[in-house]
Amino acid sequence: MTSFQELFDAVIKGDDTAAAAITKKLLDDGIEPSKIINEALAPAMAEMGKRFERLEVFLSDSLLAADAMKAAMKVMEPSMLLKKSSAPEQEVVVIGTIEGDVHDIGKNIVATMLEASGFEVHDLGRDVPVATFITKAQEFRADIIAVSALMTTTMYNMPRLIKDLRDMGLKDKFKVVFGGAPVLPEWATEMGADGYAKDFTQAVAVFKELKR
Amino acid sequence: MISFYDAVERLETGEMLSEHEFDLRVGRLARKYAKEYGIKMEPDTVIISDNSLADAAYQASLRLFVELGVYCINTGRVAKFTEDEVKEAVAAAPRKLEFGEGKDLVYMTPREVEDKTTPCVNMSMVGTPVPSSLFVSALQTYAQEPLCDTISAGSLLELDGRTVRSGCPIEVEAAIFNVKATREAAKRAGRPGLGSHNIPQGSAEKTAAIIAAMHPEFGVRKNDGALVAALGEMKVDYERLNKLAFLEAAGYHHGGLYGPLMGGYAGGPAETALILLSHFFLGRILLHAEWSHCFPLNIRETCNSTPEMLWLVGLSSQALTRNTKLLYTMNCFVASGPCTEMITQELAAHSIAATVSGGHLNPAAPARNKYPERCSGMEGRIHAEVGHAVARSGINRTEANVIVKKLLQKYASSISDAPVGKKITECYNMKTLTPSKEYLDLHTKIKGFLTDLGLSF
Repeated sequence: MTSFQELFDAVIKGDDTAAAAITKKLLDDGIEPSKIINEALAPAMAEMGKRFERLEVFLSDSLLAADAMKAAMKVMEPSMLLKKSSAPEQEVVVIGTIEGDVHDIGKNIVATMLEASGFEVHDLGRDVPVATFITKAQEFRADIIAVSALMTTTMYNMPRLIKDLRDMGLKDKFKVVFGGAPVLPEWATEMGADGYAKDFTQAVAVFKELKR
Repeated sequence: MISFYDAVERLETGEMLSEHEFDLRVGRLARKYAKEYGIKMEPDTVIISDNSLADAAYQASLRLFVELGVYCINTGRVAKFTEDEVKEAVAAAPRKLEFGEGKDLVYMTPREVEDKTTPCVNMSMVGTPVPSSLFVSALQTYAQEPLCDTISAGSLLELDGRTVRSGCPIEVEAAIFNVKATREAAKRAGRPGLGSHNIPQGSAEKTAAIIAAMHPEFGVRKNDGALVAALGEMKVDYERLNKLAFLEAAGYHHGGLYGPLMGGYAGGPAETALILLSHFFLGRILLHAEWSHCFPLNIRETCNSTPEMLWLVGLSSQALTRNTKLLYTMNCFVASGPCTEMITQELAAHSIAATVSGGHLNPAAPARNKYPERCSGMEGRIHAEVGHAVARSGINRTEANVIVKKLLQKYASSISDAPVGKKITECYNMKTLTPSKEYLDLHTKIKGFLTDLGLSF
């Protein structure tokens, strides 16, 4: 019988073909998708996260692992639709780099880590207008809006999101998280953000905390 | 040499590719060429002395660039360039740049590895946020430094009480203020002719603001410069290429700006060194970079004073210096903040690595470039004086390696928890614009430490 360890290893290696094939075998053996996620996929991505924190692996390795995990999830989609109860309840996040800012590596890492940690992530990309954050958050029924900036000058577009949400009477519908190199925690709080992540290593914990 | 518009044409006709796939390709190819050419960091060596390794890194990066190409985020396409086109573009680069005028006129020319010629020092507040009330004074602390060859400003937090935000009309006003402040700071320092290597940009990101600020009546001179950034890794976009089209047509100096992340899409130190070198080819072909300005960073620590970053700085500098006549500066990002013992050690280590390897200097971004008002001319002074001492003392790379390792022994274990240090108002007398006794004592201490190790100041 194919083991969870094999799937774990395939994800760690970023082998999407193997991950998909092993997942199919596990399903054929009658294993529930939720068990596959909990026993192999989630631990593998958590392990990649730890290794990335220590820079024993790099972003390129993490992206490959995330692709392998997605390949496995895709194989499980039909089963998860049939057995809705087996699909874990996902918190929905829309994430993007704020208007004017085209730097997105940090945001991409956080998006990958969140996805690997069980969040449903809608990545809006870079240079995202404030209005787009709001319309997409409504469209995807998001729980959290995550906004990133790398430049001081673009960082000051982030509070506009909070202001617009307040002016539209929507602030209570979404949690807002600020992140990015120039953002300081006290500033994020002062501007009205619900959460702040210093870097990608902190981000998942912050989002999980908000989820409670 | 391939023209700018022919290069842009390729961005519109090249292979269509998802950005995600390009990002993965960066890592795959960097790994492939690092392995093929045997590029790797040896545990005991921070500053390499192996010429064959530097030359191998250059050759590997050239092949990497030719195979990888450049991604355009506007078109979603990859532009490819031949090895001959790259070589032509590199050969056509300027061998001499002038900044400033009168007694402040300086030239930047190529240096050699272990060169006794002192490096050109472009001093900068980098992106440190500073309020308008302090802006000119803070910048003056750099301009008044005797070893400062050019200056550029930080990021303006607010103007007349209004927050400066990218893409808003206030950004245009801030960019103009930036130019005027740069000239005013130089004038107050008694150096009215001092040039700027990046005159409008500290407070402006958008092309419209840059173009507005470059109007001569605001004080910009033809031999001032502006930096045009590539996006990480190996990408360009039209917002920045539009800026270049203007700068080139108007005849201003324009440099390339590259900050690849070690631990990011490229991979580890060896792979990131190759990607940094590849950015120079991107810079010559698509940004027509007259010189380049590099700030490779450790993705977790957001500084380049860690052991593997210093190795990367040394390797890539030596690869460029030995194989081209390209002009470039190495921008120092440190973990600790002003007026700490640690910052003096980090600045010294970076300066030694860059200078002995043939680079010019660009100090500095203190406290991970994150904390408002944590920047001053003293960081520029320490970085510049150490660089000048390295050149004048004529130390070789092996000796530099010994000194840098001794410095690392003092600070490397503290990088993750580095002190953020003091604001400029806390470590300078803002009336006389002189460093505090505490900071002067730290400056004396690091020079004493380095003198004992063979540097002569």
